[in-house]
Amino acid sequence: MWLSTAGKYLKLSWQMIKANILSAMEYRVSFLMQVIGMVVNDVGILLVWVIFFARFPEVNGWELRDTILLFSFMTINYPLVMVVAAGSRRIARAVLRGELDYYLSFPKNVLWHISVSKTDISAIGDLIFGFLLFIFLVHISLTQTLLFAGLVIISAWIIYSFIVIVQSLAFYVANFEDGAEQAFQSMLAFSFYPQNVFHGLLKLVMIAVVPAFFIITVPINLIRQFNFNSLLLLFGFALLAWILALTLFKRGLKRYESGNLINLNM
Amino acid sequence: MNSAANSLVRPRSLAAFWRKYTAIAQTSYATTTAYLFNLLASALKPAIFIWIFVQLYGATYKASGLAEINGLSLAMVVWTLGLTQAFHMASRPLPAILIEEEVKSGSLAYSLIRPYSYALFHYFNFLGRAFPTLIANGLISVLVLLLLVGTIHLTIPGIVFGLVLLFFGYTMEFSISLIIGLMAFWIEDTSALRWIYSKGQLIFGGMIVPLALFPEKIRNIAELLPFSQFYYAPAQLMISFDIKLFERFALIQFFWLTVFSIISYLCYKKGIRHVAINGG
Repeated sequence: MWLSTAGKYLKLSWQMIKANILSAMEYRVSFLMQVIGMVVNDVGILLVWVIFFARFPEVNGWELRDTILLFSFMTINYPLVMVVAAGSRRIARAVLRGELDYYLSFPKNVLWHISVSKTDISAIGDLIFGFLLFIFLVHISLTQTLLFAGLVIISAWIIYSFIVIVQSLAFYVANFEDGAEQAFQSMLAFSFYPQNVFHGLLKLVMIAVVPAFFIITVPINLIRQFNFNSLLLLFGFALLAWILALTLFKRGLKRYESGNLINLNM
Repeated sequence: MNSAANSLVRPRSLAAFWRKYTAIAQTSYATTTAYLFNLLASALKPAIFIWIFVQLYGATYKASGLAEINGLSLAMVVWTLGLTQAFHMASRPLPAILIEEEVKSGSLAYSLIRPYSYALFHYFNFLGRAFPTLIANGLISVLVLLLLVGTIHLTIPGIVFGLVLLFFGYTMEFSISLIIGLMAFWIEDTSALRWIYSKGQLIFGGMIVPLALFPEKIRNIAELLPFSQFYYAPAQLMISFDIKLFERFALIQFFWLTVFSIISYLCYKKGIRHVAINGG
């Protein structure tokens, strides 16, 4: 029963994403500029680290190839969420403006619907960059590649849960639109640095406040050196974050007050 | 009107000009400071970056076993990067976003009928917004820098001349932002231009790696580009003051400011022809 429901949601998600992308492609110049612009953007960030490692070839055992692996990972997992569920970043805004009414009028899951309602087109550029980087510059074994793919999914799952958690806080405090965005940006702030330099209180922030430790550090360390306990810890954290996200959203939705907004979405 | 009368009118009109635009700056200043919590929360962002830099360069210097690299100690590197980030973040969000929205929505036409220059309105609006953010960012960043890396030798001339460069740095940032925003007259979405511009700043603007640690050839080129002149040049001058360095940076800034002012003026002149105003 639940398998057929999941299948239906998967099919419907695919149709929604396809519609989002096709509608963006109507404005071809804008579409291409966003995709190509993001690829150039990513090349730019990587170039900074090429310059850094040209000066300091190794920091605590971390080399340029590790940063390339990190970039490849982060430019696939995070954009994956942004292609499939960029609408999740608009929950706080929708709550504040009473825009959830539209989604409540449908016989489908509200969280799913608002999440897939938007695709971040520039994330396609990230994905292209990430895959190209992985194909041409990441040299890992087949087993590690399979592990990479699995960890991308788990990590993307945590990113999505984190977004839903911080965005759902808008149900409980009056205006959390900026706060939710700041929390998300803070998580990204840790993403492109050598992960083994962080220690002390900053590492605690990465674990407890913004889960950058579980989104980036643990998966990258697992690919570099596999450890079953770390994998189990990561999966456990992902599950916990998911339960928390669903609980916060569901309970929050009960507190939601309609904005009495009549809106036509086309 | 005779010349005597002219000389009387001119200062008065200059005063009126000044009053008008400072009023615009004061309005955006008041809007920014009205949300004090928001202002302080945004000032935490450069503080987080400083914390990251302390750990990144702490590990880097430790691994290299050197106390100084290219004449820069660990404290100097973190102070330079911290100040660069604090200055940079005070300019965000870029005025280009607002200008693009006005061009795309057509609300630019509304501004055109008002008795002020469109570019100067946004310039003073930008300065009025950036100023309190700069103060908040500066204070919190300096506090975090003192806590995490300790004191550094700062001189009064270094701070004064650094602030002069910083003022022109913001003016340059605004000129480029105006050009990007006005590009919306010709392209539907300027976000790609903004990303590329931001990455130019990230790479050549000394925001993660100080230019002093760049390979010499790249450093020489980067110092001549506008990106390093916005915020890195003022920060560098504050940390290690040298009047010759000031003259060099001021000359590069003057060159780029002239170039960007001309381009933005031409973009505005050409773009404004696309504006169609309907009555009603």
